[in-house]
Parts: sequence; C-alpha cells; structure tokens
Amino acid sequence: MTKTLKLLAGASCIALSTFGTTAVLAAGADAGTTISNTATVSYSVGGVGQPTVANTPTVFTVDRKVVFRVDETAPIATTTVAPGQTAAVTTFTVTNTSNATMDFGLALTQLAGGTSIHGGTDSFDATAPVIYADSNGNGTYEPATDTTVLTFLDEVLEDTSRTVFVVANIPVGRVSGDVAGVTLTGQARIGGVAGQGAIATATPGANTAGVDTVLADTAYDALNTANDGFGVARDDYTVAAANLAAEKTIRVIEDPVNTIASGNAANAKLIPGATVEYCIIVSNGAGGALATGISVSDPVPATLSIIASSLRINGTATAGVCNANGVAGGSVAGQTVSSGALNNVAAGANVTVYFQATIL
Amino acid sequence: MTERLPPMKLLFALLALLAPLTAYAANDVALTSSVFVEKAVAQTDGKTRMVLEEPKVVVPGDRLVFVLAYKNLGGKPATDFVVTNPMPGAVAYQGTGDAGAIVSIDGGKVWGTLAALKVRKADGTARAAYPEDVTHVRWAMKTPIPVGAAGKLSFRGVVR
Repeated sequence: MTKTLKLLAGASCIALSTFGTTAVLAAGADAGTTISNTATVSYSVGGVGQPTVANTPTVFTVDRKVVFRVDETAPIATTTVAPGQTAAVTTFTVTNTSNATMDFGLALTQLAGGTSIHGGTDSFDATAPVIYADSNGNGTYEPATDTTVLTFLDEVLEDTSRTVFVVANIPVGRVSGDVAGVTLTGQARIGGVAGQGAIATATPGANTAGVDTVLADTAYDALNTANDGFGVARDDYTVAAANLAAEKTIRVIEDPVNTIASGNAANAKLIPGATVEYCIIVSNGAGGALATGISVSDPVPATLSIIASSLRINGTATAGVCNANGVAGGSVAGQTVSSGALNNVAAGANVTVYFQATIL
Repeated sequence: MTERLPPMKLLFALLALLAPLTAYAANDVALTSSVFVEKAVAQTDGKTRMVLEEPKVVVPGDRLVFVLAYKNLGGKPATDFVVTNPMPGAVAYQGTGDAGAIVSIDGGKVWGTLAALKVRKADGTARAAYPEDVTHVRWAMKTPIPVGAAGKLSFRGVVR
C-alpha cells in the first residue's frame, strides 16, 4: 500500500509541478531538482480490468550549471574625467544565468600600460578604487546611498543581475588624453546561504548522487575564457581637461569729433574723450571638459574711466567680435572690472565680458 | 475491483484504486522505466555521433530519452493495454518515435495527437500546442499483449 501510494502521489505531484515550471524557469530547472519518471499501465485480462501497474521511479538530480557574465554597463564608452576629480565612476553588471543562486567574488585590477578597452593607451592608475553596491538598485551611483563596499556579491538569484560601481579618484596633474584602464573580475561561488560561498569548481570525475557543478560560462568576448568560472570586463577613465583661453580686444567706438551721431564713427581716433569698448572672450577648446567656476578680472589702465553701467556678462561673440550683448552683472572696483561667476563653458563654446570706457 | 474503467477516467480513478491494490501482491504485468542522456560524442574522423548514456552530470538543456519496458508475466493475454506517463517535472516533452502515441496538454483531461491539440491563450484565441505543453504521453495498444510478450516504448525530453 504505502509503496504504491507514494508512487501515485508522486506522479500527481509531478504533473502539477509541470504546469508551474513551464513558463517560470528561463535559467532552466533549478540545481537540485529531482527528475523522477513514473508510468502506469492499465490492462484487462479476460475482459476484466486489472489493477494498474506502476514502475519503480527512475530518479536523478539536476546539477548546477554555472553560467554568468560580467559586463560594462551601457553606455559602452570611456568615462570622461577631469584632473583632480574625486569619485569618478565606472559601472559594471554581473548577470547570473545559472540554474542556481550564486555568489560572485569581485576583484578589481588596474591596467599597467598597453591598449585599454576603449582604444586609448593606459598611462596612469586611478587612486583609491573601491567597489560599491548599487544599494537601491537604480543603476546610478549615489554617494549618500551606495555606501556598501563589496568584495563579493551575495545570493544573486537565477536570471537576475546586479550593478556594481567602481569609484576612484583622478590624480591632479593628469592631462587631456591620459587613460586609466580598470578590470573587474567576478568569480563564481556557490550560493544558497548568506555570506560568501566556496569557489565553484567543476565536479571532477563521475556524477555523484548530489548536486554536481558544471562550469558553463562562455568566452563571450576576447577577455573571457569558457568554463573557467570567471567573468571579466574592462572600462577606462579618459582625462579631458578644460582648455580655456581668454582673448581681449579693444575697439574705439567714437571720439568727440567723429561721433556716432555724426556718422563718422568709423573714423574715430583714440584721443582724449573717445569711448572704447573692451571685449573679453573666454573660450574652451574643442575636446576639452566642461569649464566651470569661471570668473574674469580685468585691471584697466588709469588713463581710462570705466563706464560701469555698460558692463555686460555672459554675452556671445561672432567671429572673435563681441556682440555687445549679455546681461547686466559683475562689478567695478576702482580701475578693476570683475565679472563674478560666469556661465559654464562647454568644449568649443565661449562666453564674453563686455564693457566700455572713456579715455581721460 | 472488478469494475472496468474507461481509460479516460483512469487518472481520476487512481485514488479509488489504491485500497484494492493491496490485495494484489503480484502483478501480471511488469513495467520498468529507464532514462538516458543523449550526448554528441566527437569521433576521430571529425564527425559527431549521438550516444545514449546513463545520466551522469545533467544540466538544463540536456536531451533525455525515457524508455519504458513492459512484459506480460501473466497466464493470459492482456487486453486494453494502456501505458500512461506523466511528464516528470523539469522535463519538456520532445516527441516520441512510437506510432499511435497520444498526448495530453491539460493534465490528462483531453487526449490526442499533438497536432490536434490547441492551447487557449489569455486573450481567448487558440494556438497549436507545442511539444513543451505536453503534460502526459500515452500509448494505447490496439492488439492484446500475448502471454510472455514484451515491448519497449520511448519518448524524448529535454531538461528545462
């Protein structure tokens, strides 16, 4: 009775679980799942139905198939940094497609010369690199939130991925084009309990009755080797310093004889009483980093009287000539014009400071 | 337990059968099940050959062949001989080479050839059943199994 009962009960349970597992398991049957097959025979003898017969179930266990990868998180491009920048971030993703929950040991190394992953030549090391967890899972590094330092990822479920941030500082004094390559290596470890599990190694020799391990990670790019239990990804930091230049041009607008009103302003000379305009163009070279915190201070010769009301900042220039526009701002103290904080200047863009003065 | 049950109702009658089963210590029909893993083995000539081996390391995606062997041990021919095999959990049906096999995709309620079965989708429309929809496979023998006769039935599956 009991044996048959178990067989039949087992058969009906299996039928139910078949429904449940059809759509759910993208990574496949969980490691440790037992596959048990039981068939039944019904028949008649002499026209009389006989008791059904069931076979002794054949049972075996699904083993652990370790498949995972470590990737740079999109955008797949270098991380542009400024000299002296702190907390420069590169982002990686560890994806577990094993049929079991896994842990992943994490190790960070820096490239020592050679071509970096995004084409530059590695020329320096970022300082104090640290791996942080994406604590709130939003994929963006937030210094106040993502404070957990990682040496391994714990309990990464099947068919899920985790984001990790490599956060490092850029030394002062690096110049545009300097590259620091970083390499994140993940190593598969056995999951299932909190804390870092043992390194996942392929079960040697013949199958055992328990859950064996097969390393089925692939050589998904040139950095990776199949079936070694490691996943490797690289990213790099490329320094882009701002390339600021300030150009000052002086132009006479009118003199007491050749006034604008007379129509002869084009012939105005730099004589006492003449009005001149000062045009200061602050430009940032192509390919440079965004320049921020810009201010301009211009000491004007004592032979000039600054017209404070003419001071304009954050104007535009066309072909190296101020458009005499912008907004009122800045200040005049004695013979010195100060712009105060100017707008940020992106690579290839410029900003102007404009004022007029009278020749004493 | 002399009532004769139509095969369709057998599954539901299983529980009812449990108690009487104790009275029959020896069955007149023997049924055994075995399973093999189908592996591609590289040959020295560069070709690959499919071989069947005992399940060793089994991981998702591995192809399995289930073999059911039956034999009539009794003294009379067995008629109305029906073998029913629910698909094991975590195994997706991949077909059988045995002619006359029928399948169910709904836990044994409706039976037919795979091509004849439809799956009702959430939006009310129906689609053709896929092999992985199969929940049970069944072979119903049209001819009696003579005394002492034996045979084998098989089907393929893949570990989900």
